[in-house]
Amino acid sequence: MELLFANLAHGFSVAMSFDNLLFALLGALIGTAIGVLPGIGPVATISLLLPITFGQPATTAIIMLAGIYYGAQYGGSTTAILLNLPGEVSSVVTTLEGYKMARNGRAGAALTIAAVGSFFAGSVATLLVAASGPLLTQVALSFGPADYFSLMLLGLIISAVLAQGSVVKSIAMVILGVALGLVGTDVQTGQQRFTFGVPELSDGLNFAAMAMGVFGIAEIILNLEKPEVRSVLSSKVGSLFLTREEIRRATPSVLRGTLIGSALGILPGGGASLASFGSYMMERKVSKGKHEFGNGAIEGVAGPEAANNAAAQTSFIPLLTLGIPSNAVMALMVGALIIQGIQPGPRMVESQPDLFWGLICSMWIGNLMLLVINLPLIGMWVKLLQVPYKYMYPAILTFCAIGVYSINNNVFDVYSTVFFGILGYVFNKLKMEPAPLLVGFVLGPMMEEHLRRAMLLSRGDPIVFIDRPISATLLAICALALGLMLLPGMRKKKEAAMAG
Amino acid sequence: MKINAKDLASAIFLLVLAALGLWLNTEHSLGSARRMGPGYMPMLVFVLEFALGLIVLGISFFSGPDPLEKWTKLDFVTLAISIAASLVAYPLLAAVPALQNNWYALGISITLGLFILAVSPGWRVLALVLAGMNIFGVLLDAGGLFLAIAAMVVVAAFADKEHRPLGVAACVVFLIALCWWVFIYELDIRVNIWPTF
Repeated sequence: MELLFANLAHGFSVAMSFDNLLFALLGALIGTAIGVLPGIGPVATISLLLPITFGQPATTAIIMLAGIYYGAQYGGSTTAILLNLPGEVSSVVTTLEGYKMARNGRAGAALTIAAVGSFFAGSVATLLVAASGPLLTQVALSFGPADYFSLMLLGLIISAVLAQGSVVKSIAMVILGVALGLVGTDVQTGQQRFTFGVPELSDGLNFAAMAMGVFGIAEIILNLEKPEVRSVLSSKVGSLFLTREEIRRATPSVLRGTLIGSALGILPGGGASLASFGSYMMERKVSKGKHEFGNGAIEGVAGPEAANNAAAQTSFIPLLTLGIPSNAVMALMVGALIIQGIQPGPRMVESQPDLFWGLICSMWIGNLMLLVINLPLIGMWVKLLQVPYKYMYPAILTFCAIGVYSINNNVFDVYSTVFFGILGYVFNKLKMEPAPLLVGFVLGPMMEEHLRRAMLLSRGDPIVFIDRPISATLLAICALALGLMLLPGMRKKKEAAMAG
Repeated sequence: MKINAKDLASAIFLLVLAALGLWLNTEHSLGSARRMGPGYMPMLVFVLEFALGLIVLGISFFSGPDPLEKWTKLDFVTLAISIAASLVAYPLLAAVPALQNNWYALGISITLGLFILAVSPGWRVLALVLAGMNIFGVLLDAGGLFLAIAAMVVVAAFADKEHRPLGVAACVVFLIALCWWVFIYELDIRVNIWPTF
């Protein structure tokens, strides 16, 4: 316990440095902005800003990128409540009760409970990351190559199972990601694989180009193809203060939301949107105000908003302790770390204490900043919505183009982005979920390494994966997760949860 | 009929890709399970991908109906012509000595194909947004950053019917100023700013 406090103190000293504070604020602001704006999400934004972070120290870079992710959870709720317009997938359920509250003249109260609930959940989740990090790391250090392989397989399968749409197609996308990860020089023999003689491909496909193309560029095209929906602020914000009755009703929901969000965030493949759906379902069943659901029940705002923020924090746990990204945003974080020359994994807590503890403390500081900047600035954020998309997309495109070029100072990366843009567009038209692709791409090369090592140690005997208890357990969970999805009942439940 | 056209197309995509991957992988030595060669993991991956493609194919016959968006005759024609034009233009351009050992041939031939694609209204948004980005790539080294941004924004602006010339001009000026500040002044990336023809 004392060690924890010493570590946190160290973390605060890192997070409170001028640069880190500035970039946490910058990340939180950018995150809020893109959270407010529909049509651009955290995945696209983080991939867009990846190249900009290369010049910074790793800690500062990750602090900013993390700020974007949790900032987006705050921002998404603002437009969901005021305009019935979810800025992010994770705030879709907030529209259900939040917008009704706004229609009842309680918009201010809904915004306050969303912000305060998020802050509370964020603080608890941050502590959870701090406490569980070193513990899980201890466990992970006893992992052999076979265990690692199984763990990564589990990460891949769960991220596919929990993705939207067909499970088989999502698994196919994960494997496709692994396949794309094969391009480049084979680490052990130095042989070029699938490079077609292109020297630029010998280091593998450019991760940033892929993320920007599949998410950034493809999203622009898809948004432009749909007619733009303009929305105007119809209801007044009103008083930001909660009544005593509202506080009494919302408190248990925030607590439950924090709990469920923290749990679902840790799960590989989980994340903010799953958490807010989970919490909404729970509140509708167990909260005291369940008869008011559909007419602006404050529980339906408090729970999901707490949950999505808690999950945004705890989804860092598998990344920071095991080096396993649990969703597309975390896959981008892995990409950012690798480009900085840091191999994510259980040794990161020990070898990069500044990064680990600094990030944790900056998450808490960032949450505090968001609470302070969000409520008074709501008017400004809503104004941001008046910017038409026709002025936004050239800016996104320009940042993509220059950003991707600046990684290697090579126009080849610009053309790769175009290629992945086409691919992302095709994926969307065929309802193939691109998020698992990114997770597969990041994990693929690591999996190959561990597979080779495990098989070398076992002299080519695949029994090693069932022989080791850790690996066997993980594989059993994989099988269970896949098996559950084959049951029609579970599949329906998942569809219902995804559809809100 | 309950054919799911989206799943069917996905299955074909996966099967073709897996087959292509397996074929390309024949040049890599497999090694043994104990000492895996460079071709072992790709073999596993593409076999798995092929199997998944078959499953998706099987599912596609029952999970529908989910038709693809309708393509007009013009969509088909422009797509075919644009692919053909790019494929013809690339070797021709690559034969020009000045365009060897760089990516101009690739960039120009794809841009050409995308402009042809933009003739059809169904492809216009896709083609113009991507063409803008391509032109950025073509112009950046010789034309400099500012010209590349301007050209990209102008071409991409045609993708949205609501754009007016004045708005686009303002957009160009604003983005050039912003990018100069972020990428040149703050981040100091190595790139030409002005044309060096």
